[in-house]
Amino acid sequence: MIKRKIETPKERQNRHKAMEAVALLEKIKHEFKEPPKAMEYFYNLYEKVYCKHESLHENKAKVGTMCIQVPSEIIYALDAIPLRFCNGFYADDEIGSDFLPSKSCPLVKATIGQFSSNSFTDIPDIIISPTTCDQKTKAGSAIEEMGFSVYDMEFPHTKESEESREYWRRSVRKFAKDLSSSLNKKLSKTKLKNAIKKIGYAQSLYHKLNILRKNSNSPILGKDMFLVTNAFFFDKIDAWTEAMEILIKECRQRVKDKVNVASKRSPRVIYTGSPPIFPNLKIPVLIEQSDAIIVADETCSSNRMFNDMASIDEWFIYDMLDSIADKYLKGCTCPIFTKNEDRKRRILELVREYKADGVVYQAFAGCQVYEMEQKSILEAMEKAGVPILYLESDYSPSHLGQLTTRIEAFVESLKNRKRRQ
Amino acid sequence: MHYFAGIDIGSTAIKIAIIDENKKLMGYKINASGSMFYKYAKQALRELLGELKIDEKSLIYTVSTGYGRRLFKEADENISEITANAIGAVEAAKRKCDIKTIINIGGQDSKAISLDSEGNVVNFVMNDRCAAGTGKFLDVVATNLEIGVDELSKYHFKSQGTPLSINSTCAVFAESEIIGLLGTNNKIEDIIAGVHYSIAKRIVKLVKRVGIKESIYFDGGPALNYGLVNAIENELGKEIFVPEFPQITTSYGAAILAHDSYNYKSEALD
Repeated sequence: MIKRKIETPKERQNRHKAMEAVALLEKIKHEFKEPPKAMEYFYNLYEKVYCKHESLHENKAKVGTMCIQVPSEIIYALDAIPLRFCNGFYADDEIGSDFLPSKSCPLVKATIGQFSSNSFTDIPDIIISPTTCDQKTKAGSAIEEMGFSVYDMEFPHTKESEESREYWRRSVRKFAKDLSSSLNKKLSKTKLKNAIKKIGYAQSLYHKLNILRKNSNSPILGKDMFLVTNAFFFDKIDAWTEAMEILIKECRQRVKDKVNVASKRSPRVIYTGSPPIFPNLKIPVLIEQSDAIIVADETCSSNRMFNDMASIDEWFIYDMLDSIADKYLKGCTCPIFTKNEDRKRRILELVREYKADGVVYQAFAGCQVYEMEQKSILEAMEKAGVPILYLESDYSPSHLGQLTTRIEAFVESLKNRKRRQ
Repeated sequence: MHYFAGIDIGSTAIKIAIIDENKKLMGYKINASGSMFYKYAKQALRELLGELKIDEKSLIYTVSTGYGRRLFKEADENISEITANAIGAVEAAKRKCDIKTIINIGGQDSKAISLDSEGNVVNFVMNDRCAAGTGKFLDVVATNLEIGVDELSKYHFKSQGTPLSINSTCAVFAESEIIGLLGTNNKIEDIIAGVHYSIAKRIVKLVKRVGIKESIYFDGGPALNYGLVNAIENELGKEIFVPEFPQITTSYGAAILAHDSYNYKSEALD
């Protein structure tokens, strides 16, 4: 008889996640037209972190963030690494279901599930939980009960008023002070300036790459772009920017050589809604398997991270902190805000600039704010004559049949429209 | 000496166990069910009696069980495979551990049975009319990969990488998924480990429905596959007990029942 070893719960969870990761990478690598060679870096990165469970940031202070609203600039300036724990694993979602009501958002459930199963490659020293949507706000306290150190960062739900601006600025200043004392590091002018520049450079690279997607010959598919932006959650920032520079160079060459990863008739789609996070790229992959191409997106796991830069008049600490605060509040198009004209405007701008044929709006079943904002976005698109498909989905890997049919039908209708024009 | 037989006529194999008055296993036989259950069952019984040099007359009580149990007209009694499985498992693990949960994977179905401390069946569930997660599925996989079913275990333990996910809930679709994985140059061992884990996940869901209580017993032909055994153990996070002859637990249970039934009846007559 063979001597058998039984996995610990953590090993089992890691295997479940590795299996999910490999399943997606297999699809992404093999079921599409030739991706840029520079994508290898990102494929290997995901394999390293999610299949081989290798740590990327040993011997570094790590600050976990629960949302896009935590200013990474401040974390980098304090010699720590920001790691975003918005999570896309179904295996974690299943575990998180024990902690939250069944109708909760899968992303929040997956985040809680990851903390509860302790399946990290890099364990955060402190977790910053901004009070953005209700579910994330409450998730912070659930995670704290598991024994992690959690810092609640207050965030306003209106962005037009001067009061909310001041409230948020004070919250950011307080955060900088508290994090500096909890990490036992002094926040210096030079370090903050350098951190702002570093992130600003990463943002500029994203824009350089994104602009190339405006070409009618697309150098890169949306599913690869989501991997690139997603990697920014956890990768070493210098390694990421270096890989980005190489990728941009290759994509520029591809544009010159008129390489098209889609076909000539592929409808061009803007993707918006609940954020696709590795390995839950289910909907983007289905869209591109149905012969459409995602040319741009409006999500917090991708485009929203890189959109607006901190603009600074005077390089003093308080001025820098204030402009960082403004960058995170004013530029944000998250549906948690009372009104959201900015989001409509941004989607329409993307449709125009990227010559898109339609929009796909995904909401996670249980992600209330995106579900609620669906109606007003749909109306705005209809008014502007832009076809839009609204989908609700979760993290489960089965039952793709119905989603596939709806997406295929939408893509076909876009093709017909294109033909008639 | 008197002897007792248990005959388990399953969808893919006929299993016969013969015990003596002291419930000692004298011998067993496993034959393919083929197309004529009744004929092959009779033939197998005759052969087994011949091998063991037991006179047909001293075989005094026979209990049939399994999918085709009603076809075996010579049986003195027939019982469901759930009961027979429970009796056989408790007896086979006697003096080693107290069985509270049984996992059985057969040729075309899988079951989880929950027992009380006396070994009575409290609850059981079966998979939904579908071959994924059964022995048949392993057959199909082995055929696709051009290896023998008995080699699956060896390949499973060779897998160094991440097991590949098989998400289809249907054996037919899963087959095409496997072909797809072969098409992208994946290692056979990683595919096999993935197949085992996809079955294991399904089985664990089934077991959860009756409740996981230790000790856990695993029988049926697929229990010969230690790769699958380990996958189930990993998914459960618990060790499981696999008997020496996992295929004959149910027929052994039927034989035990034949013994008890006969004695009960003769006592009643006295």
